[in-house]
Amino acid sequence: MELETEYAIQTSSLSKEFSGFKAVDNLNLSVKKGEIYGLLGPNGAGKTTLIKMLCSVITPSAGKAHILGKSIPDGNISSQIGYMPQETGVYLGLTVEQNLKFYGRIFGIENDEIMKREDKLLKFVDLVNWKHEMAENLSGGMKHRLSLACTLLHQPQLLFLDEPTVGVDPELRVSFWDYFQDILKQDTTILITTHYMDEARHCDRIGFMQHGHLIAEDSPRVLMEKSGKDSLEDAFLEFSNRDKSPAEKSQGGVSQ
Amino acid sequence: MKLYRIMAVSRRVFQDVVNDKRTLAMLFIAPIFAMTVFGLAFSGDVEDVNVIIVNQDQGFAPPMGNTTYLSKTIISHLDTKVVNIKYMDNPTTARQEVVDGKAYALILFPENFTENAVLKSRNSSYPDSAEIMIQGDDSITNIKNAILKTVSDAVSETMTDEGISPSLKIISDPVYGEDAEFIDFFVPGILAFVVFLLTTLLTLITFVGERSNGTLERVLASPVTEGEIVAGYALTFGLLGMIQVAFLLLVAIVFFNIMIVGNVLLAFLTVALLALVSLSLGILLSSMAKRPEQAIQFIPFVVLPTFLLSGIFWPIQAIPQWLRPLSYLVPPTYAVDACRAVMLKGWGLDRIWPDILILLIFAVLFLAMATWSLKRGKK
Ligand SMILES: Nc1ncnc2c1ncn2[C@@H]1O[C@H](COP(=O)(O)OP(=O)(O)OP(=O)(O)O)[C@@H](O)[C@H]1O
Ligand SMILES: [Mg+2]
Repeated sequence: MELETEYAIQTSSLSKEFSGFKAVDNLNLSVKKGEIYGLLGPNGAGKTTLIKMLCSVITPSAGKAHILGKSIPDGNISSQIGYMPQETGVYLGLTVEQNLKFYGRIFGIENDEIMKREDKLLKFVDLVNWKHEMAENLSGGMKHRLSLACTLLHQPQLLFLDEPTVGVDPELRVSFWDYFQDILKQDTTILITTHYMDEARHCDRIGFMQHGHLIAEDSPRVLMEKSGKDSLEDAFLEFSNRDKSPAEKSQGGVSQ
Repeated sequence: MKLYRIMAVSRRVFQDVVNDKRTLAMLFIAPIFAMTVFGLAFSGDVEDVNVIIVNQDQGFAPPMGNTTYLSKTIISHLDTKVVNIKYMDNPTTARQEVVDGKAYALILFPENFTENAVLKSRNSSYPDSAEIMIQGDDSITNIKNAILKTVSDAVSETMTDEGISPSLKIISDPVYGEDAEFIDFFVPGILAFVVFLLTTLLTLITFVGERSNGTLERVLASPVTEGEIVAGYALTFGLLGMIQVAFLLLVAIVFFNIMIVGNVLLAFLTVALLALVSLSLGILLSSMAKRPEQAIQFIPFVVLPTFLLSGIFWPIQAIPQWLRPLSYLVPPTYAVDACRAVMLKGWGLDRIWPDILILLIFAVLFLAMATWSLKRGKK
């Protein structure tokens, strides 16, 4: 199916089983083009598994997904998406610059163009002085910054960012979010996971995820209203409680 | 498949190796180290060596009594555990068998062998002309020595039995490997061994890393296909294998003064093919390990069979017979055989093609399996 659609991501009953365990369970998700969508949920909720399926890194056990209007995995949209894995996904044995060059070359970008974009991105993630340093010598947060730069280099239309701000200091986190807002104006779509609730507020819409499915989904303001709480944390706990079977109610909680 | 993506992967793998001085050192120093240590230490018992006997001995007929054949007595004393004997009449065709590699040596008893021996034992001023000629493939030193020893043992036993003491001369006239020493025999083996071992381990470890640090996933989410990843690795490790060979040969020639009679380019080709098999094996093994520490546990399973079975340190003839079929399942066996034939005997592609063909089949098979294992990993 190839329709010109307003949706960047559309899944229907998408599931992933790992030897009997359902990490993602009959999940229906729709993300509009130009939207920034935040996936929130406790550790093990299935956020990373979902993103990997949407990036064709793993194959779904059941269900369908359309990315940028094309069904995956045969849709051939890989050059339009950018995936920032939860593990940093940079080559520790290469320098900062070599990493960026590699992630440019595999998309067939010309060398001159790579250099131009590289300079801009290094400024943005504040690694200009580390250009020739080995990635293994960077601090944890710097590795995440490099990882983000690698994801952005080929200027994808749709970004999957799995906890992009982990370990990044507050000042840079603010500039990250400014940048995200910036590229959203250029019709980019972002699916982002985070455990920082203050960041989640910046999202157009938020999906609360638990046990492999969405338990609530809306704009941050509406979610808080619907739950009658005044913070996203409490809103999540409220929805989580409503979702749980009575037997489960005694245990559980959100991380962070 | 897009060439620019394969090149990007290949270049990335190359940078990774070159950036890490320790890995780089391991690639070049380990072979030299292995060559020095093992080269001095090894020898093995040799069994089941094919030899051809051409017995032209007319015997000695004394005025009274029966004709005696000293050659036959000697032959009956040959240790048949060591040598497999085949009899032929024509020395020229027999020699051709050695040249073709079907036998390791031709043992020739000339016409007047017994006569000369008997005359000498009766008259000590008679010239030492009772000679056994051995024309062997001397490129494999321990086989050469085993044949010489077996023949001279048989000769001395015969002399004790017959109660005569003729001085029998054993003349060695090598078909191949004149002046070959053990180190010459050993270097082609070490070439194949180190390239196999280092390539397998290096890919195994880097690939486990790629799986655990998210880089493989990021690359799989990009337009790069599984086949392109494997091809990129193949290009780099094939090249690195050849550079290793060049370096090792240089050191072997300069410091160990080894002998190379054949076309080294064929040795390069052989080792590059072996590198492809090795890196595929590394990728395959990497799918069974979650962390680099787990990968380390595979090392014995890679090293031992190769070490023991592939004819690197001792010829396959020195491996217990029941184990020998397994040797032919270990890819380095063919690379060792081919390198040795090229470097010591000067054989060309027309002679070593069976080895090359089998390596090629192994390489294609293993590369396909590695690609398949990456695809299966998505499940
Ligand atoms: N390859 C795998 N094999 C088996 N189980 C897996 C695999 N990958 C993920 N899981 C399981 O699937 C569940 C969801 O994992 P996932 O990584 O998607 O969670 P997450 O929401 O991203 O958590 P976190 O916030 O900690 O990153 C977990 O229970 C995890 O153990
Ligand atoms: Mg996760």
